[in-house]
Amino acid sequence: MAYLKISNVSKQFGENAVVQDFNLDVEKGEFVSFLGPSGCGKTTTLRMVAGFERPTEGQIIINDKEVTNVPPNQRKVGMVFQAYALFPNMTVNDNIGFGMKIARKPADEIKNRVEEMLKLINMEKYGTRYPYQLSGGQQQRVALARALALSPQVLLLDEPLSALDAKIRVSLRSEIRAIQQRLGITTVYVTHDQEEALSISDRIAVMYQGKIEQVGTPFEIYNFPQTAFVAKFVGTLNTISAEVVDVNNRILKIDGFQLETAENLDGRANGDKVTIAIRPERLNFIAQERKANVMDTRIENISFLGSVVRIQVSVGSNRFYMDTFNNPFLELPKIGSTDQMTCSREAVLVLKD
Amino acid sequence: MNLPFGWLQFAQNRFKRQQKPPDGRRKTPFWSWVWFIGGTLYLALPLLATFSFSLQMKRDTISLQAYKSAFADPAFINSFLFSIGLATVTIIASIALIVPTAYWIRLRLPQARRTVEFITLLPFVIPAIILVFGLIRIYSQPLSIPFTSLSMGQSLTNSKYGTLILIVAGYMVLGLPYMYRSIDTGMRTVDVRTLTEAAQSLGANWYTIMTRVILPNLRTALLSGALLTFAIVVGEVVLASYLGVAAFGPYLFLLGQHRAFEPAALTFATFLLTWIAMGIIQLVTGGQGQTTGAH
Amino acid sequence: MAETALPSLKVKRSKPDWRVWLGVLPFFLFALLFLILPSLKLFVGSFTNDKGQLTLNNILQLITQQSILDSYWLSIKISAVTAIGGGLIGFLLAYSVTVGGLPKILRPILITFSGVASNFAGVPLAFAFVATLGRTGFITYLLSHFLNLKIYDAGFNLYSFLGLSLTYMYFQFPLMILIMAPALDGLKPEWREAAENLGATGTQYWLRVALPILLPTILGTMILLFGNAFGAYATAYALTGGALPIITIQIGAQIRGDVLHNPGLGYAMALGMVVIMGISLLGYSLLQGRTERWLK
Repeated sequence: MAYLKISNVSKQFGENAVVQDFNLDVEKGEFVSFLGPSGCGKTTTLRMVAGFERPTEGQIIINDKEVTNVPPNQRKVGMVFQAYALFPNMTVNDNIGFGMKIARKPADEIKNRVEEMLKLINMEKYGTRYPYQLSGGQQQRVALARALALSPQVLLLDEPLSALDAKIRVSLRSEIRAIQQRLGITTVYVTHDQEEALSISDRIAVMYQGKIEQVGTPFEIYNFPQTAFVAKFVGTLNTISAEVVDVNNRILKIDGFQLETAENLDGRANGDKVTIAIRPERLNFIAQERKANVMDTRIENISFLGSVVRIQVSVGSNRFYMDTFNNPFLELPKIGSTDQMTCSREAVLVLKD
Repeated sequence: MNLPFGWLQFAQNRFKRQQKPPDGRRKTPFWSWVWFIGGTLYLALPLLATFSFSLQMKRDTISLQAYKSAFADPAFINSFLFSIGLATVTIIASIALIVPTAYWIRLRLPQARRTVEFITLLPFVIPAIILVFGLIRIYSQPLSIPFTSLSMGQSLTNSKYGTLILIVAGYMVLGLPYMYRSIDTGMRTVDVRTLTEAAQSLGANWYTIMTRVILPNLRTALLSGALLTFAIVVGEVVLASYLGVAAFGPYLFLLGQHRAFEPAALTFATFLLTWIAMGIIQLVTGGQGQTTGAH
Repeated sequence: MAETALPSLKVKRSKPDWRVWLGVLPFFLFALLFLILPSLKLFVGSFTNDKGQLTLNNILQLITQQSILDSYWLSIKISAVTAIGGGLIGFLLAYSVTVGGLPKILRPILITFSGVASNFAGVPLAFAFVATLGRTGFITYLLSHFLNLKIYDAGFNLYSFLGLSLTYMYFQFPLMILIMAPALDGLKPEWREAAENLGATGTQYWLRVALPILLPTILGTMILLFGNAFGAYATAYALTGGALPIITIQIGAQIRGDVLHNPGLGYAMALGMVVIMGISLLGYSLLQGRTERWLK
């Protein structure tokens, strides 16, 4: 039985349908991310789980209890806000202990728990500091500790890292994931950064314009995107329009070149226009003789991205990006030269429009 | 009495029933309405009273007689125009003094900033009555350089122009905190340093920079400071009466001793004038108006 | 980096320092002549007797003469009462139009009205209150006519401590509103949500989070209100004609005609006022600094 069930939840703001028919089951201890661009409804959905917004329709159930109409201060969910929201007039200790103080726990229990939390986030010496004396990353860790101090049933994080520097974002997200796994706490994480979502989630729900586009593991989302939006939003992608040549043998054509795909073309007819997608790292120059999926290319540009080298090629009037690992001793093709490019059948994705 | 209290409970309960759970943080706006209505009444009633009184000059009818009579009085016209003149001179002198100073500090002499800001806070600590006390005591004797035998022929307070200089200076002091803060904020907002550098890189000289770049961009700040100074000067009574100047403030005060309806009319007119000035400031600054506080 | 005509802050210039200070000379000259010298005169004068010798007698008299002490005390009382009263009412009003849930349109109306009211002091304010609560005033009439409450018979008098306080309130609580409304805006909604998320009710949020955060501003502004009322002169004079011997009225009488036959004493009274105002300004800055530190 799912620990957190969000069933048929919709949210309407006046004329706007901000969230439409959201359905998701989250298992206990699972780390799920809501991933999507601004305005897709991910934060609104999170806030409905927290109790700060009420769904226009649908139900939210935590640990078999329906909480849809329960006020936020009675839900026992912990929330970490994008802007940290630490109480500026209280020390780190007081901030973390706030929830327990409200719950009238005895003083020594509070003290012990606060120390425990400080150890968890690696900030034992910072108990008497005030928020304005802490860096952004430190404030966010305190915010996390504050939310966890009450041992909530569910932990909710609303783009907690977007206000931080890039390097801190990377280190802090692993810290958050490590703490989550250690405590085994069910977590929902909202972000617009797909690399973040891919690296720390058990599952990802990709959202667009209020609806769920796809739910799956990071592996599934990245390698087998089911819709055009998911394919384009997650990772870099080459999207090209192609024409169906042979439905049964799964052959498409772009600019005079034939491509075979492993995808099922049922429901399409010969001559239909489709959008295909190929990941840049699945393309490579031909090392040996190949028959299928061969395209003549012309090298347009080469960008050095650090660990990856991105080669821009043109196939007729289409443009492709090809990624290859950086190797200082590998000779790169010259701009303007021609070569042949290939990819496997499985790499050719046909998108549902 | 039971009735009013019961009614209060009834009204409160009605509001409570309309209250919706979690959404939004507004709970019972009942008390908010109570405070709001109470506060607005407190602010509005004296004005209403003044207005109503000012309409009663002609027995048993409502008329604008008090206004006609007040505005027709030559003493009013003279003193009001005089005050407007004083205000204008004060505003121009203040701008001429403060704008270059604030500009200079921003660009070349940040070290002086704290001292200057401290000076602009002094008028808060030295109310008008004390300022005029000090001014009179010093300038009722002829100015002299200490330890020498050089001195001015006559004391400032003895000559007409001397007194005018004194009162304009006094008004400038009273308006200093507001004028300076307004201009300084304005300069910070438009980042005069970058503007100046840009203008210089395009070949402008100081005069051009000041008149074509800085001052036009300070329009909002200058207007707001000017209006505030205007309000201070026209309503000012302490300096004017102790320095023996025939301004609007002392005139209004004297009028109150002898007449009943005309002062009410002028009071209401003053209120409208202040309202208009504040309204313009609000419009122009987008809601960050300032206040001059008590007199 | 291109050479600019302006010296940057970090580069030391070989130009002599003192010339730069010329730019602020007019301002300092002005301040010296019309602000600093008068203040110095007061300061030095408090320590001088009629013969021009240094003495502490004036100060001594200041703190021992009963009538003067009474004046100070009266001023302090009325300033404190209107500061606290004005502070509370102003806070409640500011609350009502910000977080209090009233229709959004009411806020700009109240703010503009407050802006006008806080500037509406002095002679016109006194006249307005006479028209309202004087013997033949509007409210006086309404109360006696409709509710049979004859307030003057019951002992109320506009030209008294109570009357002056009510008049002062007119510009005190609007000033509080003008300062508190932006401060209340500064209460981030996330704080409330975080508090709720951790189990707090609305009241607990206010008591434990919001009010403590606002307290320096509230106290600081009340101190500002105190100073505001303490230095007021024209309103009191126009209303009571000098009948209520607050310290500003006393000083005014001194200027007009050496009532105390001792100019030094007059200066000392003024000095005493400046000291009190200075202390309140200090208190205000300290509290401001505290708020700014927290909300950096």
